[in-house]
Amino acid sequence: MTAPDDMIPQDMTPDDMLAMDFALGALGRDERRAVDVRLRSDPAFRTLVESWQATLSPLDDATAPVLPPASVWHGILAETAPAPATPAPKPAARSSLWNSLALWRGLALAGTAAAAIAIAQIGPIPVASPAAPGAPPQMLVAALAGADGKPLLSAAYDPLRGAVVLTPATQREDTGKSPELWVIEGDAPPRSLGVIDITGPNAHAISSKQLKGLQPGATLAISIEPLGGSPTGLPTGPVVATGKLTAI
Amino acid sequence: MTAAPSGPSELAALLARTADGDQSAFRDFYDRTSAKLFGIILRILVERGEAEDVLQEVYVTIWRKAAEFDPARASPVTWTATIARNRAIDRLRARKSRPAAPLDEAAEVRDESPSADALIDTGRDAARIHAALAGLEPRHAAAIRSCYFEGSTYEALAEREGIPVGTLKSWVRRGLMRMKAELAGGTA
Repeated sequence: MTAPDDMIPQDMTPDDMLAMDFALGALGRDERRAVDVRLRSDPAFRTLVESWQATLSPLDDATAPVLPPASVWHGILAETAPAPATPAPKPAARSSLWNSLALWRGLALAGTAAAAIAIAQIGPIPVASPAAPGAPPQMLVAALAGADGKPLLSAAYDPLRGAVVLTPATQREDTGKSPELWVIEGDAPPRSLGVIDITGPNAHAISSKQLKGLQPGATLAISIEPLGGSPTGLPTGPVVATGKLTAI
Repeated sequence: MTAAPSGPSELAALLARTADGDQSAFRDFYDRTSAKLFGIILRILVERGEAEDVLQEVYVTIWRKAAEFDPARASPVTWTATIARNRAIDRLRARKSRPAAPLDEAAEVRDESPSADALIDTGRDAARIHAALAGLEPRHAAAIRSCYFEGSTYEALAEREGIPVGTLKSWVRRGLMRMKAELAGGTA
Protein backbone atom coordinates (compact mmCIF):
# COMPACT_ATOMS: atom_id res chain seq x y z
CA MET A 1 0.00 0.00 0.00
CA THR A 2 1.22 3.45 -0.78
CA ALA A 3 -0.96 5.14 1.81
CA PRO A 4 0.78 6.13 5.00
CA ASP A 5 -1.39 5.51 8.02
CA ASP A 6 -1.85 9.17 8.73
CA MET A 7 -3.58 9.59 5.40
CA ILE A 8 -6.55 7.60 6.58
CA PRO A 9 -9.11 9.54 8.55
CA GLN A 10 -8.75 8.25 12.06
CA ASP A 11 -12.39 7.99 12.94
CA MET A 12 -13.24 5.65 10.07
CA THR A 13 -13.30 1.88 10.33
CA PRO A 14 -12.22 -0.19 7.32
CA ASP A 15 -15.89 -0.97 6.69
CA ASP A 16 -16.77 2.73 6.75
CA MET A 17 -14.15 3.38 4.14
CA LEU A 18 -15.18 0.46 1.97
CA ALA A 19 -18.84 1.49 2.13
CA MET A 20 -17.92 5.04 1.22
CA ASP A 21 -15.62 4.00 -1.62
CA PHE A 22 -18.32 1.76 -3.05
CA ALA A 23 -21.10 4.34 -2.80
CA LEU A 24 -18.83 6.92 -4.41
CA GLY A 25 -18.13 4.51 -7.26
CA ALA A 26 -14.35 4.56 -6.93
CA LEU A 27 -13.70 0.83 -6.61
CA GLY A 28 -12.35 -1.40 -9.35
CA ARG A 29 -14.18 -4.32 -10.86
CA ASP A 30 -12.99 -7.05 -8.49
CA GLU A 31 -13.50 -4.93 -5.39
CA ARG A 32 -17.01 -4.06 -6.51
CA ARG A 33 -17.78 -7.70 -7.04
CA ALA A 34 -16.61 -8.52 -3.54
CA VAL A 35 -18.80 -5.75 -2.13
CA ASP A 36 -21.79 -6.99 -4.14
CA VAL A 37 -21.45 -10.39 -2.53
CA ARG A 38 -21.07 -8.90 0.91
CA LEU A 39 -24.09 -6.65 0.53
CA ARG A 40 -26.26 -9.71 0.27
CA SER A 41 -25.02 -11.33 3.42
CA ASP A 42 -24.10 -8.51 5.78
CA PRO A 43 -27.03 -6.27 6.79
CA ALA A 44 -24.87 -3.99 8.95
CA PHE A 45 -22.51 -3.32 6.10
CA ARG A 46 -25.43 -2.82 3.76
CA THR A 47 -26.79 -0.17 6.10
CA LEU A 48 -23.45 1.65 5.95
CA VAL A 49 -23.50 1.62 2.17
CA GLU A 50 -27.11 2.77 2.00
CA SER A 51 -26.33 5.63 4.32
CA TRP A 52 -23.58 6.87 2.00
CA GLN A 53 -25.78 6.38 -1.03
CA ALA A 54 -28.46 8.51 0.59
CA THR A 55 -25.91 11.16 1.51
CA LEU A 56 -24.44 11.40 -1.98
CA SER A 57 -27.64 10.98 -3.97
CA PRO A 58 -28.57 14.71 -4.00
CA LEU A 59 -25.44 15.26 -6.10
CA ASP A 60 -27.37 13.69 -8.98
CA ASP A 61 -29.76 16.63 -9.02
CA ALA A 62 -27.11 18.70 -10.74
CA THR A 63 -26.86 16.26 -13.64
CA ALA A 64 -28.97 17.44 -16.53
CA PRO A 65 -31.83 15.09 -17.38
CA VAL A 66 -31.66 13.67 -20.89
CA LEU A 67 -34.76 12.35 -22.57
CA PRO A 68 -34.08 8.79 -23.77
CA PRO A 69 -35.26 7.71 -27.23
CA ALA A 70 -38.55 5.82 -27.47
CA SER A 71 -36.68 2.69 -28.50
CA VAL A 72 -35.54 2.24 -24.89
CA TRP A 73 -39.11 1.93 -23.64
CA HIS A 74 -39.94 -0.52 -26.43
CA GLY A 75 -36.98 -2.62 -25.36
CA ILE A 76 -38.11 -2.54 -21.75
CA LEU A 77 -41.62 -3.47 -22.74
CA ALA A 78 -40.36 -6.42 -24.74
CA GLU A 79 -38.68 -7.77 -21.63
CA THR A 80 -41.36 -7.01 -19.09
CA ALA A 81 -44.65 -7.49 -20.90
CA PRO A 82 -46.38 -10.71 -19.95
CA ALA A 83 -45.70 -13.45 -22.45
CA PRO A 84 -48.64 -14.33 -24.69
CA ALA A 85 -50.68 -17.17 -23.24
CA THR A 86 -49.83 -19.43 -26.12
CA PRO A 87 -46.49 -18.54 -27.63
CA ALA A 88 -46.54 -19.32 -31.32
CA PRO A 89 -43.29 -21.11 -32.00
CA LYS A 90 -41.92 -20.82 -35.49
CA PRO A 91 -40.79 -24.28 -36.52
CA ALA A 92 -37.72 -22.84 -38.23
CA ALA A 93 -36.67 -20.99 -35.11
CA ARG A 94 -36.99 -24.11 -33.03
CA SER A 95 -35.03 -26.30 -35.33
CA SER A 96 -31.95 -26.26 -33.11
CA LEU A 97 -31.23 -28.12 -29.92
CA TRP A 98 -34.47 -27.16 -28.39
CA ASN A 99 -36.73 -29.76 -29.87
CA SER A 100 -34.85 -32.55 -28.29
CA LEU A 101 -35.87 -33.28 -24.76
CA ALA A 102 -33.35 -36.08 -24.76
CA LEU A 103 -30.63 -33.55 -25.33
CA TRP A 104 -31.92 -31.50 -22.44
CA ARG A 105 -31.73 -34.48 -20.18
CA GLY A 106 -28.34 -35.38 -21.53
CA LEU A 107 -27.02 -31.92 -20.78
CA ALA A 108 -28.49 -31.94 -17.33
CA LEU A 109 -26.95 -35.31 -16.68
CA ALA A 110 -23.57 -34.16 -17.93
CA GLY A 111 -23.77 -31.27 -15.56
CA THR A 112 -24.75 -33.43 -12.64
CA ALA A 113 -22.01 -35.91 -13.28
CA ALA A 114 -19.27 -33.33 -13.20
CA ALA A 115 -17.37 -33.08 -10.00
CA ALA A 116 -16.97 -29.47 -9.13
CA ILE A 117 -20.36 -27.95 -9.65
CA ALA A 118 -21.32 -24.94 -7.64
CA ILE A 119 -24.34 -26.14 -5.78
CA ALA A 120 -26.26 -23.61 -3.85
CA GLN A 121 -29.47 -23.70 -2.00
CA ILE A 122 -32.51 -22.25 -3.59
CA GLY A 123 -35.08 -21.93 -0.97
CA PRO A 124 -37.14 -21.87 1.03
CA ILE A 125 -39.40 -21.05 -1.86
CA PRO A 126 -42.91 -20.34 -0.69
CA VAL A 127 -44.65 -22.72 -3.02
CA ALA A 128 -48.30 -21.81 -2.72
CA SER A 129 -47.57 -20.98 0.88
CA PRO A 130 -50.94 -19.44 1.80
CA ALA A 131 -52.69 -22.63 0.80
CA ALA A 132 -50.35 -24.90 2.72
CA PRO A 133 -49.70 -23.26 6.06
CA GLY A 134 -48.49 -26.42 7.71
CA ALA A 135 -46.12 -27.50 5.00
CA PRO A 136 -42.42 -27.02 5.67
CA PRO A 137 -40.70 -24.66 3.25
CA GLN A 138 -39.40 -26.62 0.33
CA MET A 139 -35.67 -26.54 -0.16
CA LEU A 140 -34.54 -26.78 -3.74
CA VAL A 141 -31.02 -27.29 -4.94
CA ALA A 142 -29.85 -26.27 -8.37
CA ALA A 143 -26.67 -27.00 -10.22
CA LEU A 144 -26.22 -24.85 -13.28
CA ALA A 145 -23.21 -25.93 -15.25
CA GLY A 146 -22.11 -26.09 -18.84
CA ALA A 147 -21.92 -29.33 -20.76
CA ASP A 148 -18.25 -29.50 -19.81
CA GLY A 149 -19.24 -29.48 -16.16
CA LYS A 150 -17.87 -26.02 -15.47
CA PRO A 151 -20.10 -24.15 -13.06
CA LEU A 152 -21.61 -21.06 -14.63
CA LEU A 153 -23.86 -19.75 -11.93
CA SER A 154 -24.21 -20.08 -8.23
CA ALA A 155 -27.63 -19.51 -6.81
CA ALA A 156 -28.52 -18.53 -3.28
CA TYR A 157 -31.66 -17.60 -1.47
CA ASP A 158 -31.33 -14.15 0.02
CA PRO A 159 -33.62 -13.77 3.02
CA LEU A 160 -33.06 -10.00 3.00
CA ARG A 161 -34.55 -9.65 -0.42
CA GLY A 162 -36.85 -12.61 -0.36
CA ALA A 163 -35.51 -13.69 -3.69
CA VAL A 164 -33.18 -16.14 -5.32
CA VAL A 165 -29.97 -14.45 -6.28
CA LEU A 166 -27.93 -15.75 -9.15
CA THR A 167 -24.26 -14.90 -9.08
CA PRO A 168 -21.97 -15.66 -11.99
CA ALA A 169 -19.33 -18.23 -11.08
CA THR A 170 -17.28 -17.46 -14.14
CA GLN A 171 -17.04 -14.63 -16.60
CA ARG A 172 -18.73 -14.84 -19.91
CA GLU A 173 -18.35 -12.18 -22.53
CA ASP A 174 -21.42 -12.15 -24.68
CA THR A 175 -21.37 -8.61 -25.96
CA GLY A 176 -24.56 -7.72 -27.68
CA LYS A 177 -26.32 -10.81 -26.39
CA SER A 178 -28.63 -11.49 -23.49
CA PRO A 179 -28.43 -14.70 -21.49
CA GLU A 180 -31.94 -15.87 -20.71
CA LEU A 181 -32.99 -18.25 -17.98
CA TRP A 182 -35.56 -20.92 -18.74
CA VAL A 183 -37.36 -23.60 -16.87
CA ILE A 184 -38.51 -26.80 -18.51
CA GLU A 185 -41.20 -28.69 -16.71
CA GLY A 186 -42.03 -32.12 -18.03
CA ASP A 187 -42.78 -32.07 -21.72
CA ALA A 188 -43.95 -28.46 -21.71
CA PRO A 189 -42.08 -25.96 -23.83
CA PRO A 190 -39.37 -23.98 -22.03
CA ARG A 191 -40.78 -21.11 -19.97
CA SER A 192 -38.73 -17.95 -19.68
CA LEU A 193 -37.74 -16.68 -16.26
CA GLY A 194 -36.32 -13.60 -17.90
CA VAL A 195 -33.10 -12.22 -19.18
CA ILE A 196 -30.28 -12.41 -16.67
CA ASP A 197 -26.96 -10.71 -16.34
CA ILE A 198 -24.10 -13.18 -16.21
CA THR A 199 -21.50 -11.02 -17.90
CA GLY A 200 -21.04 -8.51 -15.13
CA PRO A 201 -20.39 -8.77 -11.44
CA ASN A 202 -23.95 -7.87 -10.67
CA ALA A 203 -26.04 -10.49 -9.06
CA HIS A 204 -29.41 -11.00 -10.61
CA ALA A 205 -32.44 -11.62 -8.49
CA ILE A 206 -35.47 -13.62 -9.42
CA SER A 207 -38.39 -12.88 -7.19
CA SER A 208 -40.17 -15.67 -5.38
CA LYS A 209 -43.25 -14.73 -7.36
CA GLN A 210 -41.61 -15.86 -10.60
CA LEU A 211 -40.45 -19.08 -9.02
CA LYS A 212 -43.84 -19.99 -7.66
CA GLY A 213 -44.84 -23.45 -8.64
CA LEU A 214 -41.36 -24.67 -9.48
CA GLN A 215 -41.09 -28.33 -8.65
CA PRO A 216 -38.23 -30.74 -8.17
CA GLY A 217 -37.33 -32.38 -11.44
CA ALA A 218 -37.72 -29.23 -13.48
CA THR A 219 -34.68 -28.29 -15.53
CA LEU A 220 -33.21 -24.83 -15.44
CA ALA A 221 -31.29 -23.71 -18.49
CA ILE A 222 -29.52 -20.67 -19.82
CA SER A 223 -29.44 -19.82 -23.48
CA ILE A 224 -27.71 -16.97 -25.24
CA GLU A 225 -30.29 -14.80 -26.95
CA PRO A 226 -30.32 -11.58 -28.94
CA LEU A 227 -30.07 -8.46 -26.79
CA GLY A 228 -33.22 -8.10 -24.74
CA GLY A 229 -34.09 -11.77 -24.83
CA SER A 230 -35.60 -14.29 -27.17
CA PRO A 231 -37.80 -12.61 -29.78
CA THR A 232 -40.04 -15.64 -30.09
CA GLY A 233 -40.81 -16.44 -26.47
CA LEU A 234 -38.86 -19.66 -26.88
CA PRO A 235 -35.13 -20.23 -26.75
CA THR A 236 -33.40 -19.54 -30.06
CA GLY A 237 -29.72 -19.47 -29.17
CA PRO A 238 -27.11 -21.91 -27.87
CA VAL A 239 -27.62 -23.50 -24.48
CA VAL A 240 -24.68 -22.69 -22.26
CA ALA A 241 -25.77 -24.27 -19.00
CA THR A 242 -28.39 -26.54 -17.59
CA GLY A 243 -29.21 -28.01 -14.25
CA LYS A 244 -31.98 -29.86 -12.53
CA LEU A 245 -33.90 -28.77 -9.48
CA THR A 246 -33.90 -31.35 -6.75
CA ALA A 247 -35.51 -31.25 -3.36
CA ILE A 248 -33.43 -31.80 -0.26
CA MET B 1 -41.69 15.78 -22.72
CA THR B 2 -41.77 13.68 -19.62
CA ALA B 3 -44.15 14.25 -16.77
CA ALA B 4 -43.33 16.74 -14.08
CA PRO B 5 -40.99 15.62 -11.31
CA SER B 6 -42.81 13.82 -8.56
CA GLY B 7 -42.58 13.61 -4.83
CA PRO B 8 -41.15 10.57 -3.08
CA SER B 9 -44.49 9.32 -1.83
CA GLU B 10 -46.00 9.44 -5.28
CA LEU B 11 -43.06 7.57 -6.78
CA ALA B 12 -43.15 5.04 -3.96
CA ALA B 13 -46.83 4.42 -4.66
CA LEU B 14 -46.06 3.86 -8.34
CA LEU B 15 -43.32 1.39 -7.39
CA ALA B 16 -45.72 -0.48 -5.12
CA ARG B 17 -48.21 -0.82 -7.98
CA THR B 18 -45.36 -1.85 -10.29
CA ALA B 19 -44.48 -4.61 -7.85
CA ASP B 20 -48.03 -5.88 -8.29
CA GLY B 21 -47.47 -6.11 -12.02
CA ASP B 22 -49.30 -2.88 -12.91
CA GLN B 23 -47.80 -1.95 -16.26
CA SER B 24 -49.41 1.47 -16.49
CA ALA B 25 -47.91 2.43 -13.12
CA PHE B 26 -44.55 1.20 -14.37
CA ARG B 27 -44.92 3.29 -17.52
CA ASP B 28 -45.81 6.30 -15.38
CA PHE B 29 -42.77 5.67 -13.17
CA TYR B 30 -40.60 5.42 -16.27
CA ASP B 31 -41.93 8.67 -17.68
CA ARG B 32 -41.18 10.50 -14.47
CA THR B 33 -37.72 9.12 -13.81
CA SER B 34 -36.09 7.96 -17.04
CA ALA B 35 -34.67 11.32 -18.14
CA LYS B 36 -32.93 11.72 -14.80
CA LEU B 37 -31.51 8.19 -14.88
CA PHE B 38 -30.47 8.52 -18.52
CA GLY B 39 -28.60 11.71 -17.61
CA ILE B 40 -26.79 9.90 -14.80
CA ILE B 41 -25.88 6.91 -16.97
CA LEU B 42 -24.84 9.04 -19.93
CA ARG B 43 -22.57 11.08 -17.72
CA ILE B 44 -20.71 7.95 -16.65
CA LEU B 45 -20.66 6.07 -19.95
CA VAL B 46 -20.72 9.00 -22.42
CA GLU B 47 -21.28 6.60 -25.33
CA ARG B 48 -24.96 6.94 -26.15
CA GLY B 49 -25.80 3.49 -27.46
CA GLU B 50 -24.21 1.86 -24.46
CA ALA B 51 -26.04 4.23 -22.14
CA GLU B 52 -29.34 3.30 -23.78
CA ASP B 53 -28.59 -0.40 -23.25
CA VAL B 54 -27.87 0.19 -19.60
CA LEU B 55 -30.97 2.33 -19.14
CA GLN B 56 -33.04 -0.51 -20.53
CA GLU B 57 -31.36 -2.99 -18.17
CA VAL B 58 -31.99 -0.66 -15.26
CA TYR B 59 -35.73 -0.46 -15.85
CA VAL B 60 -36.04 -4.18 -16.40
CA THR B 61 -34.30 -4.53 -13.03
CA ILE B 62 -36.67 -2.01 -11.46
CA TRP B 63 -39.64 -3.93 -12.84
CA ARG B 64 -38.34 -7.18 -11.41
CA LYS B 65 -37.16 -5.81 -8.09
CA ALA B 66 -39.93 -3.33 -7.39
CA ALA B 67 -41.23 -5.58 -4.61
CA GLU B 68 -37.90 -5.24 -2.84
CA PHE B 69 -38.08 -1.48 -2.67
CA ASP B 70 -38.43 -0.47 0.97
CA PRO B 71 -39.39 3.18 1.54
CA ALA B 72 -38.06 2.89 5.09
CA ARG B 73 -34.55 2.23 3.75
CA ALA B 74 -34.26 4.61 0.82
CA SER B 75 -36.19 7.19 -1.16
CA PRO B 76 -37.45 5.97 -4.55
CA VAL B 77 -35.12 8.41 -6.28
CA THR B 78 -32.06 7.24 -4.35
CA TRP B 79 -33.02 3.61 -4.88
CA THR B 80 -33.43 3.92 -8.64
CA ALA B 81 -30.50 6.29 -9.14
CA THR B 82 -28.29 3.87 -7.21
CA ILE B 83 -29.31 1.00 -9.47
CA ALA B 84 -28.55 3.20 -12.49
CA ARG B 85 -25.16 4.32 -11.21
CA ASN B 86 -24.14 0.80 -10.22
CA ARG B 87 -25.14 -0.65 -13.57
CA ALA B 88 -23.36 2.12 -15.44
CA ILE B 89 -20.19 1.75 -13.38
CA ASP B 90 -20.24 -2.03 -13.74
CA ARG B 91 -20.50 -1.57 -17.49
CA LEU B 92 -17.67 0.93 -17.42
CA ARG B 93 -15.48 -1.50 -15.48
CA ALA B 94 -16.25 -4.25 -17.98
CA ARG B 95 -14.75 -2.16 -20.77
CA LYS B 96 -11.23 -3.01 -21.73
CA SER B 97 -10.05 0.55 -21.35
CA ARG B 98 -11.36 4.03 -21.57
CA PRO B 99 -9.52 7.08 -22.77
CA ALA B 100 -9.28 9.29 -19.73
CA ALA B 101 -9.14 13.04 -19.75
CA PRO B 102 -7.19 14.88 -17.05
CA LEU B 103 -9.27 16.54 -14.34
CA ASP B 104 -8.90 19.99 -15.87
CA GLU B 105 -10.02 18.86 -19.27
CA ALA B 106 -12.95 16.98 -17.84
CA ALA B 107 -13.98 20.14 -16.07
CA GLU B 108 -14.13 21.93 -19.40
CA VAL B 109 -16.21 19.30 -21.06
CA ARG B 110 -18.66 18.80 -18.28
CA ASP B 111 -20.58 21.12 -16.11
CA GLU B 112 -19.06 20.39 -12.71
CA SER B 113 -20.72 22.97 -10.55
CA PRO B 114 -24.33 23.78 -11.14
CA SER B 115 -25.32 27.39 -11.24
CA ALA B 116 -27.18 28.90 -8.31
CA ASP B 117 -30.25 29.18 -10.53
CA ALA B 118 -30.13 25.49 -11.34
CA LEU B 119 -29.93 24.59 -7.70
CA ILE B 120 -32.95 26.64 -6.74
CA ASP B 121 -34.97 24.18 -8.75
CA THR B 122 -33.36 21.05 -7.43
CA GLY B 123 -34.12 21.34 -3.79
CA ARG B 124 -32.47 22.01 -0.53
CA ASP B 125 -30.54 18.74 -0.21
CA ALA B 126 -28.83 19.31 -3.53
CA ALA B 127 -28.01 22.92 -2.69
CA ARG B 128 -26.51 21.87 0.63
CA ILE B 129 -24.36 19.05 -0.69
CA HIS B 130 -23.07 21.17 -3.55
CA ALA B 131 -22.26 23.95 -1.12
CA ALA B 132 -20.42 21.45 1.06
CA LEU B 133 -18.52 20.16 -1.97
CA ALA B 134 -17.66 23.68 -3.08
CA GLY B 135 -16.24 24.36 0.38
CA LEU B 136 -13.53 21.72 -0.07
CA GLU B 137 -10.10 22.30 -1.52
CA PRO B 138 -10.70 22.50 -5.30
CA ARG B 139 -8.55 19.50 -6.25
CA HIS B 140 -10.20 17.39 -3.56
CA ALA B 141 -13.65 18.40 -4.74
CA ALA B 142 -12.64 17.70 -8.34
CA ALA B 143 -11.49 14.21 -7.36
CA ILE B 144 -14.79 13.49 -5.63
CA ARG B 145 -16.73 14.74 -8.64
CA SER B 146 -14.64 12.66 -11.00
CA CYS B 147 -15.32 9.49 -9.01
CA TYR B 148 -19.01 10.15 -8.53
CA PHE B 149 -20.00 11.56 -11.89
CA GLU B 150 -17.63 9.73 -14.19
CA GLY B 151 -17.07 6.54 -12.26
CA SER B 152 -13.28 6.96 -12.14
CA THR B 153 -11.42 4.50 -9.95
CA TYR B 154 -8.97 5.76 -7.36
CA GLU B 155 -6.18 4.09 -9.29
CA ALA B 156 -7.05 5.61 -12.65
CA LEU B 157 -7.54 9.03 -11.18
CA ALA B 158 -4.29 8.94 -9.21
CA GLU B 159 -2.43 7.97 -12.34
CA ARG B 160 -4.10 10.72 -14.28
CA GLU B 161 -3.15 13.26 -11.66
CA GLY B 162 0.33 11.89 -11.16
CA ILE B 163 -0.10 11.48 -7.41
CA PRO B 164 0.16 8.41 -5.18
CA VAL B 165 -3.12 6.55 -4.88
CA GLY B 166 -2.91 6.83 -1.08
CA THR B 167 -2.83 10.59 -1.35
CA LEU B 168 -5.84 10.61 -3.60
CA LYS B 169 -7.80 8.31 -1.30
CA SER B 170 -6.94 10.58 1.57
CA TRP B 171 -8.23 13.64 -0.32
CA VAL B 172 -11.46 11.94 -1.21
CA ARG B 173 -12.16 10.28 2.13
CA ARG B 174 -11.33 13.32 4.21
CA GLY B 175 -13.36 15.46 1.85
CA LEU B 176 -16.38 13.20 2.06
CA MET B 177 -16.18 13.01 5.83
CA ARG B 178 -16.06 16.80 5.99
CA MET B 179 -19.06 17.04 3.69
CA LYS B 180 -20.98 14.54 5.75
CA ALA B 181 -20.23 16.41 8.95
CA GLU B 182 -21.38 19.65 7.38
CA LEU B 183 -24.58 18.08 6.10
CA ALA B 184 -25.23 16.70 9.56
CA GLY B 185 -25.11 20.26 10.84
CA GLY B 186 -21.74 20.01 12.56
CA THR B 187 -18.46 21.55 11.55
CA ALA B 188 -15.65 19.67 9.95
